[in-house]
Amino acid sequence: MPSGGAGGKEAGVRLPAGSAAPPLVAAVDASRFYRLGTSVVPAVQGVSLSIRRGEFVALQGPSGSGKTTLLNLLGLLDRPDQGQVEVGGVDAGNLSENGRSDLRRDHFGFVFQTFNLIAVLSAEENVAYPMILSGVPAPERRERSRELLDAVGLSGKYGVRPDLLSGGQRQRVAIARALSNRPDVVFADEPTANLDSHTAEGILDLMREVCESGGVAFLFATHDPRVVSRARRVVSLHDGRVESDEAR
Amino acid sequence: MSVFALAWRNLRRQRRRTLLMGAVVAFGFAAFALAGGFIAQTFDALKEGTIRTVGQLQVVNRLAVTRTEEKTLEFGLRDAARARAIAARDPGVDAVIPRIDFVGLATNGARSVPFLGVGVDPGPEAKATFAGELVVAGTYLSGDGGDGVVLGTGMASALGVKPGDSVTLLATTPDATLNAVDAVVRGLADVRIKELNDRYVAIGVVLASRLLQSSETVSKLVVFLKPGADERRTAERLERALGAAGYSVAVRHWKELAVFYGQVRLLYIGIFGFVGIVLVVIVILSAAIVMTMAVTERTREIGTLRALGTRPSRVLWMFLAEGVAIAVAGCAAGAIFALVVRVALNASGIILPPPPGATHGMPINVRFYPLAYAAGLVAMILTMSLASFFPAKRASRVSIVEALTHV
Repeated sequence: MPSGGAGGKEAGVRLPAGSAAPPLVAAVDASRFYRLGTSVVPAVQGVSLSIRRGEFVALQGPSGSGKTTLLNLLGLLDRPDQGQVEVGGVDAGNLSENGRSDLRRDHFGFVFQTFNLIAVLSAEENVAYPMILSGVPAPERRERSRELLDAVGLSGKYGVRPDLLSGGQRQRVAIARALSNRPDVVFADEPTANLDSHTAEGILDLMREVCESGGVAFLFATHDPRVVSRARRVVSLHDGRVESDEAR
Repeated sequence: MSVFALAWRNLRRQRRRTLLMGAVVAFGFAAFALAGGFIAQTFDALKEGTIRTVGQLQVVNRLAVTRTEEKTLEFGLRDAARARAIAARDPGVDAVIPRIDFVGLATNGARSVPFLGVGVDPGPEAKATFAGELVVAGTYLSGDGGDGVVLGTGMASALGVKPGDSVTLLATTPDATLNAVDAVVRGLADVRIKELNDRYVAIGVVLASRLLQSSETVSKLVVFLKPGADERRTAERLERALGAAGYSVAVRHWKELAVFYGQVRLLYIGIFGFVGIVLVVIVILSAAIVMTMAVTERTREIGTLRALGTRPSRVLWMFLAEGVAIAVAGCAAGAIFALVVRVALNASGIILPPPPGATHGMPINVRFYPLAYAAGLVAMILTMSLASFFPAKRASRVSIVEALTHV
């Protein structure tokens, strides 16, 4: 299993290590509004939330509570309308689109509800893709991709295209892909929603193991009680605001 | 994995659409290649035909360039035999043949028809030009031409004569008196242009000089060059050499003399240029539609790639690469198609209709013209790049969150 990334990769932002260090990523009084016709709907309102190395955090709440929006803001997939998102203590709002892309590439991993694998790439190539973006040499890419696929239980599926894999296998490939560049934080949006119960349990155990062994922080947006029960910190959202933030 | 490798996989994934777009490119390319080959062949044939008619260079009295003759041979080239010998000594010159242009009346005793006459040196003339090949009845002139005459088929028909019959040729001499000679019809020529067929008369320079009473004066010396000889430099050398020998001459290039060649060239370039532009627009529109569909269908994938840290510029290049890959593959298929069609057309024996005023069409002939293939490839790559650019730009600017939720 890959270790958690050490602070400071190619994107120019050094992510902190150590308990006294600033959080890996934090929302500071962040708000995000959506326009629906003539009305403006608040999806996230004045949320402050920080994620530190090795945390296993579940964002829970009813539909429309702002879980995914907050995940997108913290993952630099979206920009807040008010407030800011800091990565390693640096305001990510000041970064260019390329700078934000590089930060995601080097420090973040993503797992999506619908897996979002690249259809024309094999399992191994999907895992290798973020490393291609980082300029990792081909032999190293190949070795690490296979290691990760082995670690998620997909030995022998290296050359298989996503459409020939089951839902659970696809999500395992997605997890391997999320870990390929040795990220500091993995953002997972409803990662178990499209999986059967047995597969979902296995996926969550795998993520928890990665978190504990590698120090990788995981942030889930989820409805799934199995995710919540495994989380060491649960943040409840309601109407775009943090209702509670409990450590376990 | 390079953007081209990824592009190629995406194209293979959308096989039907790729084939459709590839077919558009292939047909566009084939049209470029075939039209280019046809135009090149036509220009070459026209150039060869022009040169074999007027020569590559013509040596004339300098006054003949700027002034119009009011009397026959008023601005002719005097002491022509010496000038011809001087010109023939130039290392770039293959043949120098004299010509005398004149007008007059041909009569069979019962009927008179005006003619456009040319006095020639039959042997070299037949060797260097089409003159001998145009004879459709009887023979071309031989030796110094003697008292022989070759008539256009229209002229012979108007006079009601055939090879072996006698005609009388009347013309005005340089001192404005009327003179006549008897001649025997040796052959009938079809000079491919109806109006000229009705007026064409060719006789030997000796007989022409006797008719015009002007020995050692010709209208021009027609110069044919050796293969590879530089036309401009040879013209300069001839002008210098003849000038040094006391001649006041101008050496004219075939392009100056063949206005028709330039006009036809411009006409063809205009027609095929317009068709080419229409072709490019069709390919651009087709490709833009296909690429826009591809971007729309793959919006979620674009969102994923962007989320994983793909820079917008790389997304742009990915889609541009797909356009370029289709262009290259389509051109390869189009080249094979064009080569097959070319062979089929050339073997078909199809005769193109004669151009206005001409009496004969010509068999279709499409040359293999590498420049047209290269131009087609460049045009298709540029066209597909342009067509892909705006959809690709849109893809690179897509909002990641919206793309990830795209249905």
